[in-house]
Amino acid sequence: MNLNVQALGAQALNILNKQKAVVAIAIIFIVMIFPDTNFYTAGNFSNLLEAVSTNAIIAFGVTLAVICKGCDLSVGSVMVMAGIIAIMLLNSGMNMALAIILAILSGSVVGFINGFLIVHQKSEAFIITLGMGMLVQGIALLLSNARHVSASDPNFQRIANDNWFGIPNIAAFMIVFGVLVFLLLRFTSFGRNLYALGGDYEVAEHSGINVLRTKWLAFVLTGTFAAVAGVLAASRFNTGIPIAGVDIPLMVNCGVVIGGTSFAGGVGGVPQSFIGIFVIFLLRNAMSMIGIHPNVQMLVLGIMIVAIISLDCFAIKRKKEAV
Amino acid sequence: MNNNDVILSVQNVNKSFPGVRALSDASITVRKGTVHAVVGENGAGKSTLMKILSGVYTKDSGTVVFDGETIEHTTPIQSIRRGLSIIYQEFNLVNTLTVGENIFLGRYSEMKGMRNMHKQARTLLDSIGSTIDTYRLVSDLSAAEKQMVEISKALSFNSKLIIMDEPSSSLTADELTQLFTLINDLRSKGVTIIYISHKLDEIFELCDIVTIVRDGQVIDTKPIDHLTRGEMIAKMIGREIENEFPSRPLVTYNKVVMEVKTINTRKLKDISFELKKGEILGFVGLVGAGRTEIVRAIYGADKAGELKILMNGSPVKIRKPRDGKHAGIGLLPEDRKLEGLVLPFSVQSNIVMSSLENISKFGFINSSKEKEIAERQIKSLSIKTPSPHARVKTLSGGNQQKCIMGRWLEINPDILILDEPTRGIDVGTKYEIYLLIKTLVENGSSVIMISSELPEVLAMSNRVLTICEGRISGEFNPEVDSAHDIMDAAIG
Repeated sequence: MNLNVQALGAQALNILNKQKAVVAIAIIFIVMIFPDTNFYTAGNFSNLLEAVSTNAIIAFGVTLAVICKGCDLSVGSVMVMAGIIAIMLLNSGMNMALAIILAILSGSVVGFINGFLIVHQKSEAFIITLGMGMLVQGIALLLSNARHVSASDPNFQRIANDNWFGIPNIAAFMIVFGVLVFLLLRFTSFGRNLYALGGDYEVAEHSGINVLRTKWLAFVLTGTFAAVAGVLAASRFNTGIPIAGVDIPLMVNCGVVIGGTSFAGGVGGVPQSFIGIFVIFLLRNAMSMIGIHPNVQMLVLGIMIVAIISLDCFAIKRKKEAV
Repeated sequence: MNNNDVILSVQNVNKSFPGVRALSDASITVRKGTVHAVVGENGAGKSTLMKILSGVYTKDSGTVVFDGETIEHTTPIQSIRRGLSIIYQEFNLVNTLTVGENIFLGRYSEMKGMRNMHKQARTLLDSIGSTIDTYRLVSDLSAAEKQMVEISKALSFNSKLIIMDEPSSSLTADELTQLFTLINDLRSKGVTIIYISHKLDEIFELCDIVTIVRDGQVIDTKPIDHLTRGEMIAKMIGREIENEFPSRPLVTYNKVVMEVKTINTRKLKDISFELKKGEILGFVGLVGAGRTEIVRAIYGADKAGELKILMNGSPVKIRKPRDGKHAGIGLLPEDRKLEGLVLPFSVQSNIVMSSLENISKFGFINSSKEKEIAERQIKSLSIKTPSPHARVKTLSGGNQQKCIMGRWLEINPDILILDEPTRGIDVGTKYEIYLLIKTLVENGSSVIMISSELPEVLAMSNRVLTICEGRISGEFNPEVDSAHDIMDAAIG
């Protein structure tokens, strides 16, 4: 019995060691007990969840790209473009479902092109998706003429803003997509092959895995998820804002890595990415509640990110030396 | 022998790696101003010894005296500064820097400016009769030119002893003559050279003294004119083939399963051969002779221009490993850690990697079948693992190798290519792997086996092809032909 408790304790420590973001979350929750704020209210948690949702959906897609040793920096622009396309098609009188599907497909197309350039032309994912992000941002600016666009159909904003048994719709979408990617990674041969080729591309190729198609599909999905998030974000604010996606790619890729999906490839997953995104938004939310100046907020956020990632790397380094 | 004559004295040096005794009681004495050859089969311990001298490895015991100074612990940079340089086969140069920068890499502050550095590099290159522009990028140089840069680098440290590891492997005949002239010139200036090579002709032409290494032991050191080529080969092969192999399986089918027609690549010339059903075909050759390249081309791991392969009489197109797999070919790669296993994955995941599509429906993996496969292979190959979910990197080399074999046995290929299947594996497990190979061919598969251990190939194969400098240099029946003749054909 005693042994069991010890083993459990060791296991818990091990998990905490691997998931420093969880520790950060716990610390924030504990610290927030003391100041007198609205942090512990249903309204705040609901807000927090809504803010996390779209970013988490993007992060689930980016997780796929990072597992196969890539990354995707075009997701912010894709998100913005998809939102604008959905609203503009809707305003032109198109059926709402069709408009949304086309908007989401626009993201798949960007992902398809990203994937082609990375897989077949062997371009570096980082720089190609960065460039693609600028390109897509340009498309979004041209389409919207650099102005905010709003949907005339009031039903459009209901997609994200209605409740579903008390859960904000947008959060429900996040859960659905999270489960989807989770299942994809855990139980399908696509998922397994993705981990394999991220872990060791040569080995995967030599084992007869269709490495090109698998990696390509990962990027198509990443683009698609960014577009889904874009439609939801547009619905949430009933507006497509052409420059809203600027800081999203870095934040999302960063969140994914904080969660434990390493740029080295082959590891990570949906729960990790969610935790990584969640900790960023939780910290922001908590700091706003206390009334910390936005400039200082940025500083603190940066400190947390650097601390978590360097501690993780330190742990990996020690583990390597121990062998 | 006068003690002042000795530049390097190695006495009773031992070195072990986990599971392998790489050097036991190795002793070599190298005299000043000689070209001293070190020969031996692959894995005999030559490289280990050189890496101990250069400070890459630390010896377990024994003494090393270099230039009158006893050396206990050393690092590569300390060795170089002491005057002991090593030039590796694959060169140690930064491709994106210029020739001059490479020669004085890490010593810019001693150079007093870039212009002076290039001037000194020029002097060095001139001294060995090379006209390479010091401002050229190393990536633009030919192999021979890179070698010149390496030699200049060694000389810039006033090296007294230069170890050359297979220096001729990437040189043309003319370049080789130039290298020999240079080495003779260095010798006359009192620089000592340790020359490691498989090519016996070169050794007879160039060297003064030869040391033969086998199985981590120094077998003999003799002046070159006291040895014949035949004696040298006999000492290199050494050990008799003992009872460490199962009886040779017989080829009972008379059907050609694969016909390879003329592979021609940059490295391979006119490779064509047949493989019968149920046959074990051995490839014998030195490392770098093209053995691995042949099987990689067949499996689709390397791009080989026009590749004509007939499987069971009908032509197949193989452009990538996936095509190879679908054509019924499996490859157990040479480097199991780099090319064979996803190390962070579990034993189970590594085993089922190639059969996922057979056990998935609509992309979803049938996890009970997955478990079944893993358990079946773990049992039938007696893979020693605490559980199917243990990380594959925690297993011993032999058991890791069995995991890769299990992966291929599960999809039951017509042809299994084994590239160094027993490298770094202990004797007991080796025997198990031999038995597996035997069972495999008795069940109608065919095997191509590459191994640097000659006794192994000779004992297991029904037929042996020798590969030398990218060509098939001979075909032998290991039951009739002598190991000596086969080795001779492989060395060329």
